[in-house]
Amino acid sequence: MPSPIHTDLLAVAPQVILTLAAGLLLLIEAFLPGLRRALSELGMLAVAGAAWARLALPTPGLVWSGTLRVDELAAFVDLYILAALFLTLWMAGPFLRRNDSERGEFYVLALFAAVGAMVMASAVNLLTVFLGLELLSIPLYVLNAFFRRSVISLEAGLKYFVVGAFASAFVLYGMALLYGATASTDLAVIVAVIAAGAALDPLVAIGLAMVVAGLAFKLAVVPAHAWAPDVYQGSPTPVTAFLSVVPKGAALIVLLRLAEGMDLARLSAGWVVAIAGMAVASQTLGNLIALVQRDVKRMLAYSGIAHMGYALVAVLVGGPDGASAVLVYLVAYTFMNMGAFAALALLSERDDRPHLIRDLEGQGYHRQLAALTLTTCLFSLAGMPPFVGFTAKFAVFRAAVNHGFVWLAVVGVANSLLSAAYYLRVIYALYMKPLPERAPELQPSLPIAATATVAALGVLALGLYPTALLDAAAAVITSITR
Amino acid sequence: MVDDHLLSIVLIAPAAFAVVLLPIPRRWRKVHRVLTIIASSLMFAFSLRLWTAFDADEPGFQLAERLPWIPQLGISYHIAVDGISILLVLLTTLLLPVVVLAAWRLNIEHIKSLHISLLLLTTGMIGTFVAVDLFLFYVVWEITLIPMYFIIGVWGGPRRIYAAVKFFIFTMVGSVLMLVAVLYLAWFHHLQTGAWSYDYTELLTTAPLLPVTGGLLAPGLLVFAAFGLAFAIKVPVFPFHTWLPDAHVEAPTTGSVILAGVLLKMGAYGFLRFNRGLLPAAWEACVPLLTALAVVGIIYGALVAMVQADVKKLVAYSSVSHMGFVMLGLAAGGQAATQGAILQMVNHGLSTGGLFLLVGMLYQRRHTRMIADFGGLAHEMPVFTGVFLIVTLSSIGLPGLNGFVGEFLILAGSWSRAPVAVALAGLGIILGAVYMLWTVQRVFWGPLANEANRLLPDLTVRELFVMLPLLVLIVWIGVHPGTFLSPTEAAVRLLLGR
Repeated sequence: MPSPIHTDLLAVAPQVILTLAAGLLLLIEAFLPGLRRALSELGMLAVAGAAWARLALPTPGLVWSGTLRVDELAAFVDLYILAALFLTLWMAGPFLRRNDSERGEFYVLALFAAVGAMVMASAVNLLTVFLGLELLSIPLYVLNAFFRRSVISLEAGLKYFVVGAFASAFVLYGMALLYGATASTDLAVIVAVIAAGAALDPLVAIGLAMVVAGLAFKLAVVPAHAWAPDVYQGSPTPVTAFLSVVPKGAALIVLLRLAEGMDLARLSAGWVVAIAGMAVASQTLGNLIALVQRDVKRMLAYSGIAHMGYALVAVLVGGPDGASAVLVYLVAYTFMNMGAFAALALLSERDDRPHLIRDLEGQGYHRQLAALTLTTCLFSLAGMPPFVGFTAKFAVFRAAVNHGFVWLAVVGVANSLLSAAYYLRVIYALYMKPLPERAPELQPSLPIAATATVAALGVLALGLYPTALLDAAAAVITSITR
Repeated sequence: MVDDHLLSIVLIAPAAFAVVLLPIPRRWRKVHRVLTIIASSLMFAFSLRLWTAFDADEPGFQLAERLPWIPQLGISYHIAVDGISILLVLLTTLLLPVVVLAAWRLNIEHIKSLHISLLLLTTGMIGTFVAVDLFLFYVVWEITLIPMYFIIGVWGGPRRIYAAVKFFIFTMVGSVLMLVAVLYLAWFHHLQTGAWSYDYTELLTTAPLLPVTGGLLAPGLLVFAAFGLAFAIKVPVFPFHTWLPDAHVEAPTTGSVILAGVLLKMGAYGFLRFNRGLLPAAWEACVPLLTALAVVGIIYGALVAMVQADVKKLVAYSSVSHMGFVMLGLAAGGQAATQGAILQMVNHGLSTGGLFLLVGMLYQRRHTRMIADFGGLAHEMPVFTGVFLIVTLSSIGLPGLNGFVGEFLILAGSWSRAPVAVALAGLGIILGAVYMLWTVQRVFWGPLANEANRLLPDLTVRELFVMLPLLVLIVWIGVHPGTFLSPTEAAVRLLLGR
């Protein structure tokens, strides 16, 4: 019989591995500058180790005196965060090198941010949720501004910092109110109190609303979305890729744990209206504004706002169908976004300048691989079969139809249609426009190309054979609700 | 082994061959052409095995293959053919080598990408006709959008991007709601039986139970409308046709032929298979509307075609008119008219596909499609004129050629239910004859009007080979329609009898 501390430590082994690796990378950066070029690979090695630990070690459930719940859900999310981190690090090395910004801090901060996200994914106590949130956010503030000499990168960092601090304040204040109302920081206790009838207690309602609002900032859903375009556009592309999937995933899982516990739909009609309103507004506004963007990264920011709107539909619908649809959506979204941003990094001449759609004209025949991966990911984002984006939307809309939210499915598909219009703009710029007179000079990069290819192949493979993904998501949800 | 997976091979072979083409350098244009023409001809030859293996007396699905795909949701890779789809599958596999050969000498950029797009498109189109699982159907239905978008947008005319985006968005408008309808049908099936299934054969037991009474918002009618919109846009039924002229005019010949030949049939096929098959009560309720739209399409398409100055646009609008006949046969008809409509789908693929090929050949020689630029071509290009005339006569329904059989069956079969519509459609036939023959007259007869047309080369041997299969079938169907009507009989009887 292993001692409790033994179980506790093993349960968070992946986080421990990443933290140790981050410290090691920092030391290498300081004392062994000769190894600097290998930092990206070393970081990937650590991620692989962490993923192995997550797969090999058991998921004991509640650990660390009930503050973390390392269950199947946490394991699933950990693996998805690690996959996103792996792809980010893979493309980061050459990307930083070509911008003369290769400094070890990048990898260290990325690893810490991932640890924060993983803590959030397994947090079942308000304090650990907040701890994870901050550990995730603070490194990201720095990463956003990693191009110190680029104004838009600095602007991105500052914006994300100010908005993030604002969001943290919301979350913290909401948590204080919830604690005041329920006398506990344990999510299970809070959920039980709320489900027992305290939902309409103003203190609880306001507290819950503020926590949700704070998470909405991280998700970048309307009305907490305004930071996304500037931050996406200004951040170094690998950071944008990481930012677009990992914090959103972590925040969604916290929301899912909250919503699953108390079944939002039954809690009160007000919550249904609020969440459905946010979902519909995010989809519609995100897609409408994306239509008129000229910068691909800004466009993807608005598309991300819309996509989180679809994911919120699944959160709202709840139940096994809805919850597993959230997970499927997260995985799908990760692959599509990672692939799209990696391909964009391949197709950009100057990383600190806007990435205009116009600059992609005619590249379909010159940078075939990059263009093809970008096209695959964009079609997938538009929800076209046989790509994983379709699987994800199918899962979400299926859940909505099955639980009486047919109108949300109709709004969702109408929005998919709207979104196709702007994804197509990029695709026709790639393939149907001639190369401009002064064609951009692009630097080939094997690791970035590999990242894009792996992500695009994932998009295709999971789209053609979604059974494994759907099964895994369903199994996770069954195991935690049992 | 081969016979067990006949249908899968026919379905997957084009896509698989597209993957084979991928690593071959794009500079080797000749290699790409030779390989693709050989492969697509072999695929057609192989698909004839389907025809021989097909049992015309068996009304239901046959040559079926069923593998679990997403078993937890009741989704399977279930494909099969019946009398309704077999002809359309063969039409698809026939047109593939034809368009590849037609594009042979053209100085087309990115020929490798064109072939890959065509092959992927072919798999999507065949899939649409053979899918029995509605999830699979939706996937292949949507897949056809992507290659067609590229075919129009990359190899098309001056306004190609506009046309390509319009095509994509229009088609998607219909299909996204179809997704909700499919999900709803599956949910309803689960409600009734407790099992998840997207299988057509199983949904047949529950979908007709959807209530259609209680106003316009009855679930049965809404599901019908969602399917119907997707198919109506594809056919296209008036007033959803506005994407078609743009797409046709801007698309390269290759695209136009496939678009007219097969893609439009996907809509009519969908109406018959899903709207009629799954939702007979809603169908009955909507017959007047569908009939009216069909007739409007026939007359409107013909009138607009008449005033076109561009031959290609004229043929495009004539498609609207001809597909109106198909819709009329489906909407108003019983056994004979429905069989006629299926045959007319094939006929339209042959004659309109043929016209687009011929217009493309003319354009390649003169780089114009304006009727006013021609006149008196018969002296310079007698063989071309002859072929064009045969295809035109087929298109306007001359007895002895294929168009007559289809139109006759449709009109005769619809008479008892919709005499007014048939009378008006008869007017459409006359108008069709007027604009097509008038076009022939202005382009081919008379003295040579334009010196630029002197010494235009006649049909080459290759071009003759392109047209030959179409001509043979045009005559064959006209003289002995039984070959092509008998397979559809049992299947249509089963579908209508439900």
